[in-house]
Amino acid sequence: MKPILRKHVWKHLKILQGIERHKYHPIIHKLRTKFGISKKTLFYVKEYGSHSNVPKTIIRESIKVLLFASLLSSLGGLALEHIKVLFVSILPLVILFPALNDMIGDYGIIISSRFSTLLHTGEIKRKWHHNLTLGKLFTQIFIVSILTTILSSVLALALSSFSSDYHLTLAIGIKVFLISIIDVVILVNGLFFISIIAGLHYFKKKEDPNNFLIPITTSVVDFGNLLILSLLVRLFFF
Amino acid sequence: MGVFSKLFDRQFREIFFSQLVSIMGGLIAGTILAASTDKLLLLPGMFILLPGFLELRGNISGSMAARLTSGLFLGVINPKHKRSKVVKGNTLASFILVSIISLVLGLLAFAFSYLAFGIFVPKIILIAVFAGILANILEIPITLFLTFYFFKKGHDPNNIMGPFVTSTGDITSIISLLVVMFLI
Repeated sequence: MKPILRKHVWKHLKILQGIERHKYHPIIHKLRTKFGISKKTLFYVKEYGSHSNVPKTIIRESIKVLLFASLLSSLGGLALEHIKVLFVSILPLVILFPALNDMIGDYGIIISSRFSTLLHTGEIKRKWHHNLTLGKLFTQIFIVSILTTILSSVLALALSSFSSDYHLTLAIGIKVFLISIIDVVILVNGLFFISIIAGLHYFKKKEDPNNFLIPITTSVVDFGNLLILSLLVRLFFF
Repeated sequence: MGVFSKLFDRQFREIFFSQLVSIMGGLIAGTILAASTDKLLLLPGMFILLPGFLELRGNISGSMAARLTSGLFLGVINPKHKRSKVVKGNTLASFILVSIISLVLGLLAFAFSYLAFGIFVPKIILIAVFAGILANILEIPITLFLTFYFFKKGHDPNNIMGPFVTSTGDITSIISLLVVMFLI
């Protein structure tokens, strides 16, 4: 970056790197307007510039969210540990488990980031339930989630049928299929509900929903996934 | 434009195909998990540890890929210099974070097993820490290489790395757990 910038701009960027991260400094606005450097570039230079301690910055900003996510996942895991013997005996569900967990987490990220963008661009106002873009996003996510759940369940059932130690019956297949569909439908609806309520709340407080929605939704749905999964396994297989 | 084409647009296809990648990785990881249920899942506390352990790989490597991608797009990271300060800092931070969070996950699995079931399994703390570090040794070079590779090829790593990291993360995590359990 150094060679392409003029000497005086580089001098300003050096000052920017030395500013404490929580401080807003007029130099950011000055550099943006005078030299046309984007806000994102200035933010990156300030966070990870030559004077900053990169690992320390990353660890300081990530550790709280990661600890919170670990606690919630362990609590969810506790629900699954209670039905461990039963769960392990349903081979297609064991095969499906990591895929289901990933899928739910991915939908959490997509819904949160898209809803945050809609709030920032002003497309979502007070009457969010009449918003066409939000309606389209919900329909798209809903269709994708149903299609991918059907596909992954069918593949998990097919893979488990290859096992010589496991006897797959039609009843087990239908139950596994229903468990995964019900789980995903509940969680996708829950994701939208949490994203809308929390997103509007943080946006009203003049905070960036991007910084809160993804950790909140992914942690809550991961926990919810384990809880709902263990409840459904009990319901269908006990 | 009809309702059908509006609904099944480029955005829909992007979400759908990224999910297909994620599902495939998840199913491979699930098959390894199912093949090793007698070794892995019957250890007390393993189900308490497993969800957080699988999630950790995506959380740490996914964020790392996103940070590197931002740096590459902004020109702060040179795609030809993989050993820059920001890249080294990201790698070191990911190792420190993995060690701390794996220890916490192990401690939580140990505490919950003891409090909820009365089972004393201190071994699970060691398994969590060593498996976490081993999985990171496998996952970080993959994340680094692919982020730079996709960027150099003109793709946006943000669209590809998320599902890719969660999928490979699941596989490396389960393999690491198996290896460490075998060794300990």
